[in-house]
Amino acid sequence: MTTTAPVVAFDQVSKAYGEVRAVDGLTLTLRPGETVALLGPNGAGKSTTLDLLLGLKQPDGGSVRLFGTTPREAIVAGRVGAMLQSGGLMDEVTVAELVRLACALHPKPYKPNDVLARAGVAQIADRKVNKLSGGQAQRVRFALATAGDSDLIVLDEPTTGMDVTTRQAFWATMREQADQGRTVLFATHYLEEADAIADRVLVLHRGRLLADGTAAEIKAKAGARRIAFDLDGVIDEAPLRELPFLTSIDISAQTVRIQSTDADATVHALYGLGLYPRNLEVAGLGLEQAFVAITAAEEAKQS
Amino acid sequence: MNSLIKLELTRALRNRKFLFFSVMYPSLLFLIIAGNADSTSKVDGTGLTLPTYMMVSMASFGALTAVLMGNSERIAKEREGGWVRQLRLTTLPGRGYVLAKTASAAVVSLPSIVIVFVVAAAVKDVRLDAWQWLALTGAIWAGSLVFAALGVAIGYLATGDAVRPITMITYFGLSMLGGLWMPTTTFPQWLQDIAKWLPTHAYAALGQAIEQSRAPHAQDIAILVVSFALFAGGAAWLYRKDTLKA
Repeated sequence: MTTTAPVVAFDQVSKAYGEVRAVDGLTLTLRPGETVALLGPNGAGKSTTLDLLLGLKQPDGGSVRLFGTTPREAIVAGRVGAMLQSGGLMDEVTVAELVRLACALHPKPYKPNDVLARAGVAQIADRKVNKLSGGQAQRVRFALATAGDSDLIVLDEPTTGMDVTTRQAFWATMREQADQGRTVLFATHYLEEADAIADRVLVLHRGRLLADGTAAEIKAKAGARRIAFDLDGVIDEAPLRELPFLTSIDISAQTVRIQSTDADATVHALYGLGLYPRNLEVAGLGLEQAFVAITAAEEAKQS
Repeated sequence: MNSLIKLELTRALRNRKFLFFSVMYPSLLFLIIAGNADSTSKVDGTGLTLPTYMMVSMASFGALTAVLMGNSERIAKEREGGWVRQLRLTTLPGRGYVLAKTASAAVVSLPSIVIVFVVAAAVKDVRLDAWQWLALTGAIWAGSLVFAALGVAIGYLATGDAVRPITMITYFGLSMLGGLWMPTTTFPQWLQDIAKWLPTHAYAALGQAIEQSRAPHAQDIAILVVSFALFAGGAAWLYRKDTLKA
């Protein structure tokens, strides 16, 4: 087995459902030890990409290799642990029984009790799988994905159905996997989640790779912050339009809305103008808007 | 794969409703049908008493219940729910899931056969030679594979709300028309002509031939073999189609 082969190698991979090109000429390489977020809105092709990566679907064109082998060979060798978004579980068995099964099926298994503890499901080990809450079921799926000493962990929207608190606790569990030197690839549509865990973010849009960089780079590229405030009296537009790092400005009546790639600097300059902005709000762009921004930028570059 | 079979079994044995229907129900039905029959009058054209005749019918019915009812609905559900996909991300070979389901059904079907025999022997004084008991158990058990394949095929064919009615219609249709609940000789002639082509009829006829100490009809064997080839082939084809789609 070649140890130098990349963990994941997509070469010009395409997959279409009828007219819809779910994945369109995707080329990407994941290296050992990376924690990678696959970021995109619903319908961007994230799940199809992961299905192709895991060999659940066959590409129409191009090739998918894991550790230099086919996805199936990598799975049989115990190098891949995966958790699917639609990962149904076996009904009417207990959490512990299901985890024991996953361990028994893994070529390099951990002890079931350790797997339960690490995934944070030890206290619900005796509960029936069909009696779990959404967040608990996600943790059980995570336990199944981490039943053995795999080199690559693939998680499709792992925090779906979790509230904010459990989501953050779960991130710690995910980070542990990465800290053990594993390559972790997870799909998400939360920029915040990508930002919190990933050291590399792949932005997928309409089946194509739109951006590849750190979370900070992605946010910057997307013109990441939105600033809104009210001004009294007649608004003098000219100096506002000269504010640094401004990508767009919209003034209606007394309200000013700005998009900025560096909100701190923009706000600082705003005060520097001697203005007194009221009801000042600085917020991250929603991912949806970030995509629009990146896509618009890409299209402008191409034309 | 053994670990999956073990877990499937644990689950099946935990499901009381399923156990009742596949293990106890055939014996109870046997007592209801054969309970008042005297042990001397014969079923037309068979030379067998009603209890002897119905014992094989009910043992076959019990095995049919265990392998057909348990699997079709579960497979459809687990396929839709994504459990089958999750299993494809393990080292379990592709066919392992179906084989584990079939194997666990076969384990449940064995007691349902044996309990009918025990009840028939104890309550209705059915007496056979030792080789006949063994051959009956083996034949009915092995024959149930035909319907296990049918259960898998239905599980891969139907989805959601459709799977239960399809299973029920198949199950009751095959049981009744195949003569598992009453001898087909009580049917009108036109229905008898249909019934003798059904795999369930051939299935029970196999057991009755053993009770009569004669070789089974070639036609019954042929029907069972062709049915098995059809159901197993259909299941394999549907399985592959589902795998490509998933």
